[in-house]
Amino acid sequence: MSQVIVITSGKGGVGKTTSTANIGTGLARLNKKVVLIDTDIGLRNLDVVMGLENRIIYNLVDVIEGNCRIRQALIKDKHYPNLYLLPSAQTRDKSAVSPEQMIKLVDGLKPLFDYILLDCPAGIEQGFRNAIAAADQAIVVTTPEVSAIRDADRIIGLLEADGMRKIDLVLNRIRVDMVERGEMMSIEDVLEILAINLLGAIPDEESIVVAANHGEPVVGSDTLAGQAYLNIARRLTGETVPLLELQQRTSLLQRMSAFFKKK
Amino acid sequence: MNICRYAQVRSGAVARARAELTIASDRLDCSQEELHKMRKEIVNILSRYLNLDSDRFEVRMDIVYEIKQGVQDVKTIQIK
Repeated sequence: MSQVIVITSGKGGVGKTTSTANIGTGLARLNKKVVLIDTDIGLRNLDVVMGLENRIIYNLVDVIEGNCRIRQALIKDKHYPNLYLLPSAQTRDKSAVSPEQMIKLVDGLKPLFDYILLDCPAGIEQGFRNAIAAADQAIVVTTPEVSAIRDADRIIGLLEADGMRKIDLVLNRIRVDMVERGEMMSIEDVLEILAINLLGAIPDEESIVVAANHGEPVVGSDTLAGQAYLNIARRLTGETVPLLELQQRTSLLQRMSAFFKKK
Repeated sequence: MNICRYAQVRSGAVARARAELTIASDRLDCSQEELHKMRKEIVNILSRYLNLDSDRFEVRMDIVYEIKQGVQDVKTIQIK
């Protein structure tokens, strides 16, 4: 049975699109059939993060309006033949789609895929309503900052009121060095405030920026962030994976000894 | 910014306290302005029944908010 997951946050810029791309690619690496749907109509970004921006012919709105068949709009990923993207429309706005239309669209995709990931736009208006309509579980992305956590709490409240049965948290942009110094909230702090299940925590790393520049997901690479995202994908499939040790080796001596110990 | 080495409060702890307070206020759907109005009305009601010397009487209201994992949120307003 197909799992339909919406990735949302409330606050903009916390890493929904990056997380959708990486978690989706992670699931594809685990040999699942995955489709990523960009529901941010008017401000599409998932195509760029996936590096597929030059391959768009038809988009989500075209499918809903009947201008094309759904298979014509699906773009196969560059690396994984079991991973597809349904891009959003750039020249329309969120009133072009209704929740009922989203449900119908997703129902049409369920026989074809194991996982359907919906990248939700920021905010709590029409775009949010469209994205959550067809989902049966949600991933809330937040960062360890007061404003992001406040918005995440509001989103969790709205999801619960909407009857979302499974809500998990992805905590993004953790700076372990700052947490150690007490200048950033820890994972435990955030979990005690939001009180939902932690799906995974992603460290703030240059590798994510570099990967985004290339239009490549970072998942599966030999970086902490890449491993963290892959672990999230594994947990979604039901695997029990312990949380990554995000401790960074800070001293030069430690870094040198780590270099010599590397396999 | 006052950087006092011996009495430094870590910003992480400040952030956590602020996040909890803001969320508590959001969840109760009661802003600071509404709390202020509530406080004034409570003083008025108390004054009707009690002989209060308004110069030496003070109402303090704090929202105490506890989140327990797996259990319904506990929200209390303490009035002193």
